[in-house]
Amino acid sequence: MLSIWKRELQGYFFTPVGYVFMGVFLTLSSVMFYLTIMQQRSSDLLTFIGLMSYLWMLLCPVLTMRLLAEEKQRRTDQLLLTSPVSLGGMVMGKYLSAVTVMLVTVLLTLLFVLIVGIYGQVYPGEMLVGYLGFILQGCAFIALDLFISGCASNQVTAAVMAFGANFVVWMLDLLESSISVSFIRDILSFFSLYARSEPFLMGQLSFASIGYDLSFAAAFLALTIHVLDSRRYRGI
Amino acid sequence: MIDLKQVTKRYGAVEAVSKLSFHAPKGQIVGLLGQNGAGKTTTLNMLTGYLPPTSGQILVDGMDMLTQARECKRRIGYLPEKPPLYDEMTVQSYLAFVCELKEVHRRAIPAHIADIMQTCGLTEVHGRLIGHLSKGYRQRVGIAQALCGDPPVLVLDEPTVGLDPRQVVEIRQLIRELGRKHTVIFSSHLLPEIQQLCQRVIILHKGRMIREADMADLTDTGDSLRLRASIALDEKQLLPSLKSLSCVRRVKALPGIQPGVSEVLLDCTRDASPDPQTQLFRLLCGLDAPLRMLVQERDTLEEAFLRATSADE
Repeated sequence: MLSIWKRELQGYFFTPVGYVFMGVFLTLSSVMFYLTIMQQRSSDLLTFIGLMSYLWMLLCPVLTMRLLAEEKQRRTDQLLLTSPVSLGGMVMGKYLSAVTVMLVTVLLTLLFVLIVGIYGQVYPGEMLVGYLGFILQGCAFIALDLFISGCASNQVTAAVMAFGANFVVWMLDLLESSISVSFIRDILSFFSLYARSEPFLMGQLSFASIGYDLSFAAAFLALTIHVLDSRRYRGI
Repeated sequence: MIDLKQVTKRYGAVEAVSKLSFHAPKGQIVGLLGQNGAGKTTTLNMLTGYLPPTSGQILVDGMDMLTQARECKRRIGYLPEKPPLYDEMTVQSYLAFVCELKEVHRRAIPAHIADIMQTCGLTEVHGRLIGHLSKGYRQRVGIAQALCGDPPVLVLDEPTVGLDPRQVVEIRQLIRELGRKHTVIFSSHLLPEIQQLCQRVIILHKGRMIREADMADLTDTGDSLRLRASIALDEKQLLPSLKSLSCVRRVKALPGIQPGVSEVLLDCTRDASPDPQTQLFRLLCGLDAPLRMLVQERDTLEEAFLRATSADE
C-alpha cells in the first residue's frame, strides 16, 4: 500500500496533474477570497470555506481520473494485481495519495486565514470546525470519484462521469428544496453532501455529519474494491 | 512447481479455457503453444493470479492461488503480452517501485536492481524515461520487472512478438539463460521458438490441451521408423513388393519428379529384424531397382502440432 501511495504521489508531480489541480484550486479560491473577504471587508471565514467547498465538485475528478482508469487503459493493473498486494491495499494507496494532494492544497489555503488573522479577527474553534468539514467533504468526493474511475475504461470518461456524479450530488441539494413530498425530500437530503456540511459552516461540530462523510467515503471505497474484484471474475 | 488441475475459465457463454490440467516441473522451460485465441493468455493470466478461474485449482509450490494468493504471487514474476510500464518513470525508479511491490527489503533494492539491469542489458538506459525507450528496450524492462524479487517462476506471454530479428535472438538468449535458474513458462505461436527454447511443450487448441509432452517425445515418431526413398522403378511394380515386406506398415507414394523414378514414404516397424533399411536393400537388389536416395524422416514440431490440432477437429 505504501509503495503504491508513494508512486501515485510522485505521479501527481512528475506529470502536470498535481500542479494543475493545486494551481486551479488556489487561483479560484483567491478569487473567492477577494469576493467574500476582501471586497466585503469581512472576516467571515466560514462563508469563504463554504464557497470553496464547491471547488471539490469541480476539481476532484482531475485528481482521481487517472488513478484506476489509466491503469486499466495501459494494462499496468496486470502488474499490481499479480503482485503480493491486496486489492484493498491498492485502492487505499491510491485513495490516500489523492487525499494527500488535497491536504497539501488545503494547507496552502491557510495563507488566507493568516491574512484574515493579521487584518481582522479569526476565531480558532470556528475555523477548525469549518476546515474539518471542508476536508471531510473533500475526502467523500474523492472516494466517489475514485469509484467512478474504477468503473470507467479511460481517463476522459472517468473525468466526465465523475463530474456528472458530483453534479448530481450538488443537484440533490437544489432538488430537495423544490420538492414538496416530504419523504422524497428526506431521502434526497440524506444523500446530499452539501446539506451535511451545513452544521460545520455554522461553526457546529456535528458528529452526525462527521460520521456521514466518513461512511460515505468508506462505502464508495468498498464499492470500488468490489467493482475491481468483480471485473476480475468477469475478465473484462 | 506449478500445477493446474481441471482449470476452466468462462467469459459469459464463451469457454476460453476448458478443464486444463498440467504440471510445470522445477527448473524447466515449458512452452505453451497454440494459435491465436487458443487460450494461452487466459491461462497465463490465471496462473499468475490476475484472473480467477471459474472452476479448478491452481497450485504454486503446493500453495493454492485462491486461498494463499499473496504467497503464490510472491513466487511468480509475470511479463504480460503488453509490458505493464509507466511511461513517466525512469527505468531505475520503475524497477525500484516494482521491487517495493514485491516486498524486496529496502536496503537490498539498489544492489538487486543493478543486478537485474546487468542481466537484461539495461544498465546504459537506467536514467531514461520509459516512454522514450524503443520497443526492444521496453520489452527488456518488462522482463526485468518480472525478475524483481527473484521469483522462482517466470511467466512470459509472447515475449518476442513485435521485435526485430536481432532483438528476437537476444531475448531468446536471455530466456535461455534465465531458464538455468528459474522455472520459465512462456507462450508463443511461433513453432521454431518453442522448439529452440523449451524442454516441455503444451499444445492448446480452442481452450483445451491436446498434447503435453517433452520436446524430444513430441518430435519423435515413436516405435515407427519413417523412411523416404527414391527408387528407379515404376510405381505399379514397386508398391506391391514394398507392401510385401514384413517390416512395412504403410506405403505412401509421393508425387515423383523424374519419370521412371518413384518417390515413396515408408512407415516401418523400428525394431524389425533384420532392420528396415536392410530389408529394403535386399528387396531392391532382387528387383534390380537402383536406390537413388534414402532418408530417415523425423517429425517436426510443426507436423506434430498440425497433427494434434487436426486430430482434434
